[in-house]
Amino acid sequence: MGVDLIFMFRVLVFPGFAFLLAFALFCDWFERKVAARMQNRIGPTYTGPMGILQPLADYIKLLMKEDITPRQTSRFLFTLSPVLAFSLFVFILFYVPIDGANVILASGFEGDLILVLVLVTVAEFAMFLSGWSSVNPYSGIGSTRILTQLLGYDVPLMLLALGPAFLAKSLCISTIIARQKVPFMLLIPWAFIFFIITLQAELEKDPFDTPHAETEIVAGYGTEFTGRKLAFIRFSKDIQTVFSAALLASLFLGGPCESILFGSSSFLCTAWFVVKVLLVIFVLEFIGCMCARLRIDQVVWANWRIMIPIAILSLILTVVCAPLFESLIG
Amino acid sequence: MATVEQAAVDILKEKLGDKILEIVTPRPRRAFVLVKHGFHRDAVSLLLEQFERAGISTITGIDLGDEIELNYHMRCHGAVITIKSRVSKEKPQIETITDLIAGATLYEQEVFDLLGVVFKRHPNLKRLLLSEDWPEGSYPLRKDWNPQDVKENPYNVHTGPSKINDQGLDGTTYTTNVVIGPQHPALLEPERFLFKVDGEVVVDVEPRLGYVHRGIEKGAESLTFLQDVHLIERICGICNVSHTTCFCQAVESVGEIEIPPRAKYLRTIVVELNRIHSHLLLLGTAGLVLGYESLFQYMFRDREPTLDLMEMITGNRVVPAFNTIGGVRRDLKPGLNEKIENILERFEKRMRFYKDVFQEDPTMRLRTEGVGVLKKSDALKLCVAGPVLRGSGIKMDVRKDDAYAAYDEIPFNMITYKECDCWARLMVRVDEIVESINIIRYAAENLPSGPYRVKVPRKQPKGEAISRVEAPRGELVHYVKSDDSVHPYRVKVRSPTLANIISFREIAKGGYVADIPTALISLDPCFACMDRMVFLDVNTNRSWSWRLDEMKSLKGEVNGR
Amino acid sequence: MVQASLVKWARLKSPWVLHFNTGGCNACDIEFLALLTPRYDIERFGVLLIPSPRQADALIVTGPVTRQIAPRLKLIYEQMPSPKFVVAVGACACSGMYANMQCYGVLGGVDKFIPVDVYVPGCPPRPEAILYGVIKLLEKMKAAKA
Repeated sequence: MGVDLIFMFRVLVFPGFAFLLAFALFCDWFERKVAARMQNRIGPTYTGPMGILQPLADYIKLLMKEDITPRQTSRFLFTLSPVLAFSLFVFILFYVPIDGANVILASGFEGDLILVLVLVTVAEFAMFLSGWSSVNPYSGIGSTRILTQLLGYDVPLMLLALGPAFLAKSLCISTIIARQKVPFMLLIPWAFIFFIITLQAELEKDPFDTPHAETEIVAGYGTEFTGRKLAFIRFSKDIQTVFSAALLASLFLGGPCESILFGSSSFLCTAWFVVKVLLVIFVLEFIGCMCARLRIDQVVWANWRIMIPIAILSLILTVVCAPLFESLIG
Repeated sequence: MATVEQAAVDILKEKLGDKILEIVTPRPRRAFVLVKHGFHRDAVSLLLEQFERAGISTITGIDLGDEIELNYHMRCHGAVITIKSRVSKEKPQIETITDLIAGATLYEQEVFDLLGVVFKRHPNLKRLLLSEDWPEGSYPLRKDWNPQDVKENPYNVHTGPSKINDQGLDGTTYTTNVVIGPQHPALLEPERFLFKVDGEVVVDVEPRLGYVHRGIEKGAESLTFLQDVHLIERICGICNVSHTTCFCQAVESVGEIEIPPRAKYLRTIVVELNRIHSHLLLLGTAGLVLGYESLFQYMFRDREPTLDLMEMITGNRVVPAFNTIGGVRRDLKPGLNEKIENILERFEKRMRFYKDVFQEDPTMRLRTEGVGVLKKSDALKLCVAGPVLRGSGIKMDVRKDDAYAAYDEIPFNMITYKECDCWARLMVRVDEIVESINIIRYAAENLPSGPYRVKVPRKQPKGEAISRVEAPRGELVHYVKSDDSVHPYRVKVRSPTLANIISFREIAKGGYVADIPTALISLDPCFACMDRMVFLDVNTNRSWSWRLDEMKSLKGEVNGR
Repeated sequence: MVQASLVKWARLKSPWVLHFNTGGCNACDIEFLALLTPRYDIERFGVLLIPSPRQADALIVTGPVTRQIAPRLKLIYEQMPSPKFVVAVGACACSGMYANMQCYGVLGGVDKFIPVDVYVPGCPPRPEAILYGVIKLLEKMKAAKA
């Protein structure tokens, strides 16, 4: 009985569902404030102290809007795919140890890094389906851009993610974190930088903002969604941001635990995790504000001609340098 | 040395002899030549041969009662030579000149639409701005047009989806028709473009104009000259000072009114401020279109001081109502010179920063370089105007060629770039802002003293005049004909966007879908200016036809309320 | 009830707007665009500019309604999910200014076609006036029954 309660608490409240949702909302606010400040504005201010409750207000309002389903859409896919994308992203966050251990205790296994990356691809496919099932030319173009961009950049994402896995000699995220006496960012900085660029593409931020190129294709794959489904679409984007930042923090920045400094106190682990994720989000948003948007063909060219060869080279370099860092890895 | 208009008139007299019925040269750089019916083509081709960069500014149609007079306004090296030709009203037919000069295409369509003149052998003589279900034979600009025609055919909200022109596509290529507009984030104003797209490459473009048509030219005929100034000002909220300057100049030419030098300088200051504000607006919107939101925010933030300056001088931020017939309505308050200098100095520093951004930012250059190329020869052939022309390396600027207001006394540079692409057109505007700052400084320092306005009679004598002004988007032409009354007989406005929209087809074809907004924004389209002529009745639902196998036209419908 | 007041609070704090120009001269549009820029910054109030009518709460209409645009205006209004509001910005949108000047291309003000909640007069209204109109809209939403 006792075990079940802990399980329910961990999954539903902390560090599970409720915490993740609240944290995603917080990161949404954080992103908007960073973007506003970079643009010399203030951003959301009057909704709650410093505008912190703004994303919450947005989502509550969306949930209570009228839900319109255009007649020509394939209703099953139209309704299901936003929810599918959202659930998959939440699920894969369960494999990142937020407070020192996975959400479902002892659920990490060798290879959960691969599982996580594969599920990212499936979730992106669900996003594509949501645009495709809308039967609207703008949604169609937006969703095909998802295929070319997101699925294309999954390849360098996986290749670069193998770097830390190689250094830590493990495919389990918790193990990779545990082995980072020195954050891998300092050991293989090239992989870190290219991983950030790949994440920019995955998250559809400038300069890789093409699926959302508002001025070209209205609102991209989300054009026809209203009410609850729109809330799910936006939410899945927020959770994806949190997940990407969490992955980067885990693989390269040492994750939630600093065994040297903090031991394994769960509260400090979480605080450390939050700080690192916010730092990553800040960097991603900063880069986004500084760049204009590339054209889709330029994005694709950058992927296949630049990022993938660089990812392969980076992996080779990591493999070559690995023996030098034996002593620095826990 | 003979002046341009004298040389033109001489050549016409020499070659056409007795085919010329009347020649009037009322003022410098203007000539009105009435030719016999059927010989306008000869006159036009003579002018095109004689003057190297001659082009057509616009074609005005006037209903004279029994006849319709067609004025072909040819711009030749700073002068405007108008070839007039008259056709009977019962059977208004005339030969086209589009084979001589391609830029006349849209102007002839416009006259066909509004006055019913048929241009024989025109390549595409169909309605330009009127809707398909407009009553046949009802031409709004004719003096005997009956508004009842339209009241009996009210617009109908519930007609079905419009037939978008799908010419038959061969089954091998899959092309998609992408409609942009009328409601689209890239367009501040409603227009509709139909692009035939093959994957991501644009195959063809068909613009559907007229959503902003309000009928201002007809409305202007029922108001007095002074009231018309306020109506004309609202043709376009962005370049409104150019419109009022142009109109007031045209009326002053007709009435032979000489405005005081102080008024000329004040007009120049406000026109240049308007140019700065318009260019900044465009560059900021270009940033937005390119996905560079930070640039958009910064540029608009820096635009605010110029609007403050406008407010200090004229009393309003955007639509200043500063010009009037006979001069300007307000004087420059003493003590403003210092404020002007302060604001301009700070603003100039920011412009240097933006020039660096446009020149050196890699993503900006990636998106605009080599995109939307308009070759020099095409630009001349299509008779485009303004920064589009100067971005293709052609040195033409009404402020230099056909100086008005105080421009003949103020030194400034003409900016040209020879790259012919979107980047060049944007850079022309960036540099023009800096030039405008210098012009304002010079004008404010050297402001002559004296009155700023002369009293003007309500009636204007019989006569006609053409006035040209370099609006921020290009050459703006107003034609005013007066018949010795308080109302004008005819007011014709040709805005630069109409001249430039012809080139949009050339620019967009062969490029990517993603480059469409970039190409469009580099033309700086202002549809409000372009659409004044005809009013439309198209009931087009927002439906697209998507030719990919069985997917057909779509209409979003509300399901279960 | 807690739920109703929570929903009302959310709707007040997060009005997403769609901007539509029904054939105007653009002056009102650029004053509206100025609201997004650092000097006025309408995002402080949670207002976002949304590209698609399906995602918007309020429709900001500028310009007099020309014949060609009228069906489009109605279609866009119908595509918006409820609850929805309309703000008519500028003298043209409020009353169809050009129709009074005998320009026949114009059919009239916006309220002849769709129900309008807030009128912001001016030619063009200053950005502060438009902002005041948006605030008035929020007050109206607050006073309305949920």
